[in-house]
Amino acid sequence: MIRFLLSRLLTLLVTAFALTFIVFFLTNLEPSLEKIAKSEIGTRVSDAEVESWLDRNGYGEPMLVRYGEWLGVVPGWTHTVDGEVVAGRCELPGGTVETSAFCGILQGDWGWSTVFRRDVAEIIGRSLALTGKLMFWVMMVMVPGALILGVLAGMREGSKLDRSLSTVSILTTATPEYVSGVVFIAVFASTAVGLRWFNGSATSAMEDATFENFTLPVLTIALYGMGYIARMTRASMTEVMTAQYIRTARLKGVSFPKIVLRHALRNALIAPFTVIMLQFPWLLNGVVIVETLFNYKGFGWTLVQAAGNNDIELLLGVSVVSVVVVLLTQLISDIGYVYLNPRIRVS
Amino acid sequence: MTIHDPRRAGLHPAAEMYAAEHRAGRLSRREFLTRATALGVGSSAAFGLIGLPAPARAENHMPMGGTLRMEMETKALKDPRLADWSQIANFYRGWLDYLVQYEADGSITPMLLESWEANEDATQFTLKVRQGVTWNNGDPFTAADVVRNITRWCDGTVEGNSMAGRMSQLVDAETNMAREGAVEELDEMTVRLNLAAPDITVIVSMADYPAAIVHSSYESGDPSENPIGTGPYLPEVNEVGVRQVLVRNPDHQWWGTEVFGGPYLDRIEYIDYGTDPAAKLAAAESGEIDITYQTTGDFIDIFDAIGWQKSEVVTAATLAVRFNQDSAPYDNKDVRNALQMAVDNAIVLELGYNGRGTVAENHHVCPIHPEYAQIDPPVHDPAAAKALLDEAGFGNETFQLISIDDAWQAASCDAVAAQLRDAGIQVERQVLPGSTFWNDWLEYPFSATEWNMRPLGVQILGLAYKSGVPWNETAYSSEEFDTLLAEAMSLADVEARREVMAKMEKLLQDDGVLIQPYWRSLYRHYTDKVQGAEMHPTFEHHHYKWAIAS
Repeated sequence: MIRFLLSRLLTLLVTAFALTFIVFFLTNLEPSLEKIAKSEIGTRVSDAEVESWLDRNGYGEPMLVRYGEWLGVVPGWTHTVDGEVVAGRCELPGGTVETSAFCGILQGDWGWSTVFRRDVAEIIGRSLALTGKLMFWVMMVMVPGALILGVLAGMREGSKLDRSLSTVSILTTATPEYVSGVVFIAVFASTAVGLRWFNGSATSAMEDATFENFTLPVLTIALYGMGYIARMTRASMTEVMTAQYIRTARLKGVSFPKIVLRHALRNALIAPFTVIMLQFPWLLNGVVIVETLFNYKGFGWTLVQAAGNNDIELLLGVSVVSVVVVLLTQLISDIGYVYLNPRIRVS
Repeated sequence: MTIHDPRRAGLHPAAEMYAAEHRAGRLSRREFLTRATALGVGSSAAFGLIGLPAPARAENHMPMGGTLRMEMETKALKDPRLADWSQIANFYRGWLDYLVQYEADGSITPMLLESWEANEDATQFTLKVRQGVTWNNGDPFTAADVVRNITRWCDGTVEGNSMAGRMSQLVDAETNMAREGAVEELDEMTVRLNLAAPDITVIVSMADYPAAIVHSSYESGDPSENPIGTGPYLPEVNEVGVRQVLVRNPDHQWWGTEVFGGPYLDRIEYIDYGTDPAAKLAAAESGEIDITYQTTGDFIDIFDAIGWQKSEVVTAATLAVRFNQDSAPYDNKDVRNALQMAVDNAIVLELGYNGRGTVAENHHVCPIHPEYAQIDPPVHDPAAAKALLDEAGFGNETFQLISIDDAWQAASCDAVAAQLRDAGIQVERQVLPGSTFWNDWLEYPFSATEWNMRPLGVQILGLAYKSGVPWNETAYSSEEFDTLLAEAMSLADVEARREVMAKMEKLLQDDGVLIQPYWRSLYRHYTDKVQGAEMHPTFEHHHYKWAIAS
């Protein structure tokens, strides 16, 4: 077990390392750096001015050295004028700059966001909290909904109920968020149709989430994942329902509801558990679309802003967090699977 | 608001002349007001000169208190003189005041200045500082503050300081700083500006959005970090891209309360919905905002349909579909002329902006500018355009037209591109998101830029088409044009200036500097509760006039 955990942890570190290096490489190509310089000092500046700005602000060193600085294995850059340190990576609150100090991600310093003019850690904290709130409600809607749909459809394979529920779940999972979101806004939120049950913008939900302003974004993400999980649950349920012990129970004269609830359900839920955990990475995907669509300033929206403005350190921070979220949920799913299904053993 | 008696001796002689011109029908009311007030005539006095009563403001019935929520892109703050977006200024306007203010009717209201006077040939301006103004940290506001701010504006050595171009007659060409003796402090409440050459735009320029007045403790950077100013509000939240909040400063007695009344609101929230108008509509229908920053294109009708109030203002704001003459093939004059000739501006107005404006003539001087001269409109001849292009050897060139993803700007560029294609010219369109478009707006070879209006025609030409100025996105560099512009800047008499302007307009057309299809009317929508927040032609937010009924 310990070996398994260690190897998973190693995978996580290596993946994060590789991904951040790729992101770092792409965001530090010459045109990208020029873009940063121009957005900082104004658009109409000469190449020489761009060069000098990049030098003064620590972008002049070789890429590997700067990646090391971000990691915290190379001392942070400093800029000196007449022997006096005027700027540097490791700036303490109050403006003084530490020389030959390490301040990278290993030291817990996530860097500075050039778009939002805040510490990256603060921005990520803020956006993760908002996305966490969204995800919580998505899970609250999606998981029970999907399980009920799947179990109802799977308990009598081929019945009318099964066919109609399967159609619904295939339909929702085949409709991407950028389609369903727009349709929902048009139908339920705009004066065009006139229902106006919910809000078409979730900006106010950042501070105060209500049924009105949070339903559409939650539903948009939840429905997409719900269909998929429901299909998995149904498959697992139908398989269990044909198992010999179920037939035995039937022949014994146990009532149908009792068979489903007491004998089938527990065994049928093992597969969906993994699927639900594996949905997390996909949910991150949906979050990018839905948060932009509903103008909800969480993790996905932050990613879009960071990428659009070549905000290097924010993008790196977002990458690290994404890797951790994805690999951690998979780890949990693997471990959880072991506990649910004693036949499987880790390592 | 009356600060000058119209019957008082010493009223600027040019003001009388302008009044005569107005009566003769050569000057519209708006033009008259802009120019008379720029010479130091109070707006009531100016109305008096042309025999009209000054419009009274209904300030007694304004509801006090409340929160107004407006949709606006919340941008990172900069040193005010470096500000390149009205939105940046509209946030720091909460706690930073201006010397003078441009009103929606074209007049100029004295703010931190009580009055000003120009000498006969407009080379010397005497500025009287308003009495009894204090900074919100308790310091008194004096002539020294005015001198320091004007000197700051004149510092052309600071990268991106656009105020230096506006104050060019006070700047020493050699040091690129304020000229010795250009800004004089006569006494504690009086400042005199000694211009190198007559310049009629100097006072109007002080109303432009980068000209906010900062405290002596302010060096550079984000002004909200230590918000010392003379204004009635304070910044509470400043989250770039999310929201910005102004709250009334309870510990500061604002000077303007006695002069104008207001401020009425307790709290002003700017919420960022990006550039997509659909998101703003969703916000409006969800009750998340009370007022839009600006309503554009098809959304004007849609906002009307959901029952919001519409506020419209006629402006000299425009879209400049310009060529950058530093990039091939646009360094070739025939190419530029051919592309211009292939486009009918009226069609661009119709398709790109639903006809909500007036057709322009490719020279960026608007009929509402005082010195506008009627010259021949540009020729539209697609066949000749293609022939000219073939002759220049670029018949098979594929041109790429870049625009921002904003709805009406993209639509207008699509209309331009469609007409070019109709003429047999190959065009590709590229639409960039707002977050990336502005990184290189000056450098694109062929792209469209939104330009806000300036009160005088010479101002916009000085800002955008003079050789080497920071915002010269066309890379236009013509000695003849520069000489004419300098001449026009010195002519207080509008008829004389119009003659020079006619030459400049012709020059801009002939040199194929830009396709400038139309002048836009600007719109804004708000709920029934909002009062005093009408659309302003230069997007200025005069927070103290705003109110909301509970």
